[in-house]
Amino acid sequence: MNTVGSKTKKVRENFYMISLRPMILACGLLVAAAAGANEEAAAAKEDAVPFENKIAACTACHGENGAKPIMPEYPVLAGQHANYLAHALHDYRTGRRNNPIMGAQVQALKLTDSDIDRLAAFFSAQASPLSILNK
Amino acid sequence: MTKHMICALLMSGLITTSALVHADGNAAAGRKEAETCMGCHAIEGYFNVYPSYHVPRIGGQQAGYIASALKAYRDGGRKHDTMHANASNLSDDMIADIAAYVSSQGK
Repeated sequence: MNTVGSKTKKVRENFYMISLRPMILACGLLVAAAAGANEEAAAAKEDAVPFENKIAACTACHGENGAKPIMPEYPVLAGQHANYLAHALHDYRTGRRNNPIMGAQVQALKLTDSDIDRLAAFFSAQASPLSILNK
Repeated sequence: MTKHMICALLMSGLITTSALVHADGNAAAGRKEAETCMGCHAIEGYFNVYPSYHVPRIGGQQAGYIASALKAYRDGGRKHDTMHANASNLSDDMIADIAAYVSSQGK
């Protein structure tokens, strides 16, 4: 009885080993892939430019709070409509609006949609000399 | 390499600055030229139709920026049908005058 029992057990073990092996392998691959994805996400996070630095990159040319540009050809950002600023940044990112400096900045800072919304909201909220034209 | 880049930057700065000296416009003359601008830029909250965003506030904007934007709209470097149509007949002098007027209209 004992011998038969242990034989049955062995067969069952072999069955599990053979039939489950692909599944175990697949699970292992999945875990490895997930770990790889996590590493990639961590690397991307490490690579991301802090938001304060993105503000600083803008104010380096557009002046403190975007209100006093360092060159007459650079626009005031402070107090501009947020949706207009966001539109401009999106166009610089796609290249539809072509300006070498802005194109390079948007690429170097790796601006995401959320970055664009935050930057636009920040500069739009600053004290500003801008107004509509008087009729 | 770095020295060359700094030189190039300084040179381009000088060229741009000297171009702007010539671009000084007459705000009083620009007031008349800017009549067309009022149709959109003098209305609080006015919207560009598509894509949908507020028409920018340009009163008090930098004259050099207004001038370069108008030239880019005129010459096609910056794409916006209405702005292209409105800027297409402007001379550099007219643009300088409009820019002087617009930049004087801030808060």
